[in-house]
Amino acid sequence: MKTYPANYPIVQVRGLKKLFPVGGGRKLHAIDGVDFDLQPGRTLALVGESGSGKSTVARCIVRLLEPTDGDVVVHGNSVRPLNPVRMATMYRTLQMVFQDPNASLNPRMTVRKVLEEPLKLHLSMTQDERNARLSELVTLVGLGEEHLARYPHELSGGQRQRIGIARAISINPEVVLLDEPTASLDVSVRGQILDLLKRIQRELNLAYLFISHDLQVVRHVADEVAVMYLGQIVERGPTAEIFDNPRHPYTRALMSAAPVARYGVKRERLRLAGEISTPVDPPPACRLSGRCPIEQPVCSQQRMPLEPINETHSVACPFSDRVAEAVAPPVPAAKAG
Amino acid sequence: MSDAILEIENFSGGFMSPAGEYNQVLHDVGYCLPRGAMTAVVGETGSGKSITALAVLGLQAPTFRHRTGSIRFDGTEMLNLDARGLRDIRGSRISMVFQDARAALNPVFSIGRQLADTWMLHNGGSRAAAMDKAVDALRQVHIPEPERRARQYPHEFSGGMAQRAMIAMAALICTPELLILDEPTTGLDVTTQADIMELIVDLAQSRGLTVCLITHDLGVVAETCDHVVVMNKGCVVETGTTEQIFTAPQDAYTRKLLAASLLTEYSA
Repeated sequence: MKTYPANYPIVQVRGLKKLFPVGGGRKLHAIDGVDFDLQPGRTLALVGESGSGKSTVARCIVRLLEPTDGDVVVHGNSVRPLNPVRMATMYRTLQMVFQDPNASLNPRMTVRKVLEEPLKLHLSMTQDERNARLSELVTLVGLGEEHLARYPHELSGGQRQRIGIARAISINPEVVLLDEPTASLDVSVRGQILDLLKRIQRELNLAYLFISHDLQVVRHVADEVAVMYLGQIVERGPTAEIFDNPRHPYTRALMSAAPVARYGVKRERLRLAGEISTPVDPPPACRLSGRCPIEQPVCSQQRMPLEPINETHSVACPFSDRVAEAVAPPVPAAKAG
Repeated sequence: MSDAILEIENFSGGFMSPAGEYNQVLHDVGYCLPRGAMTAVVGETGSGKSITALAVLGLQAPTFRHRTGSIRFDGTEMLNLDARGLRDIRGSRISMVFQDARAALNPVFSIGRQLADTWMLHNGGSRAAAMDKAVDALRQVHIPEPERRARQYPHEFSGGMAQRAMIAMAALICTPELLILDEPTTGLDVTTQADIMELIVDLAQSRGLTVCLITHDLGVVAETCDHVVVMNKGCVVETGTTEQIFTAPQDAYTRKLLAASLLTEYSA
């Protein structure tokens, strides 16, 4: 385990853009200028609804998709352009865990084969060393050596996701991108997998990019939260601040819609008008314009950049101080007047 | 309980494997749905919550065998009904909404046509009148521009809009006494999910519907339902009012499920 100075960014994402051509010269702006850092031992959560571009961000970082513009810097080195040798080096640092362990594990490979493959590809180990590493890995994710001989279909959903995690950490990466790692799991299994991820992060000092639409989970695991809407980050800050004092109207709408499994909690919902607008050739305006309850004339005339409101909290809305007075706060207990 | 519209008692059943082995999955399941109330049936994957509900309408998988018990809807024993008897109840008295609305709708017919066909099947009349009913139903579930949307096909609808159309069909085109919703908001975004639940509550209250909400999401239940049935591994482990279940759960599994939903530590 390497140690780094405080706030050392292992990965810096700068001005990342991904546009998909949709015919007729039009472009779908899946990601439209996203910046963030990933630091060892810390979790940044990307939250947002379907189509907000959060999975595309992860896919652009590990180059399953080629970004249209912008840069990903790993340990000070840009990964663009990327030749096969540098790609291999990058994968030593960056690994990914996917949402659906049924789809991301090869059904015809035993757990041993699945976990052995990255070791063979990336590390020069003897067979004995590999065997030792395999038993270490399965133990680390809370399974036993007897699971090594099994095929994915012989495992439960939670066990499969443990194997997905074991595969990602097998070659000692420093950064793990987790794309909805608990979305396909039952709630009781969800808690176990989250505990496992937190323990591994502590033991290996991993940086996590945690992509999720489940706000309850995000609050539980994240140090910092970035809220995405239509390809842009509209608000970013420490987890407690984003949840307790959301400043962007979209963040507030999202938070106020999330149900809580407690009796007697009544939500004051902030409703956005209409449906999500199209990401195809969006006009140079705030992405929320046309839906926003505190919209001003200027909102439809220019893009709203992410501006800091204090040292750690940034909001892409110049009228964020009016959010609280325009609508009731999301937590009913804190409801004023 | 005399004022229950549906009473399930000692319902046991299981699946036949291709080798002819019988694997029991439901063990003496029993619960009732009080008339005019919203009852949630909660549990994790494999708890038997969906199979039980499908059995009410005779929609269980062909390999399912029921062994014991009874399912009485408004006094009628559902398990004794033949195909014709079930047809008379399905849609007109009990209707159902499934998880994936875009998969439940027919991809080759327009949304309006599917709603109109359903209306004509139950009520007869002209196609033009049925089409008016379809557009009106879409309007009542707050689908914008219902005339234009009625001419569109399921793939042109978002998940949330398709679920609204399904609810229009199940609750407005059919005018059931009991509406069974099987994970109606799973897979939808939180804002869409909240809108759909509000719509369901509105419709249930304004039409005096009895609603059975099958879900794994306790958050949705806490806000909307009156009664809760908790299932685990094919058994009903606890039933009670929403307040009882959430504030004073008696069963260990219920407590575990609640803690897991809130991601808090579970202490027995």
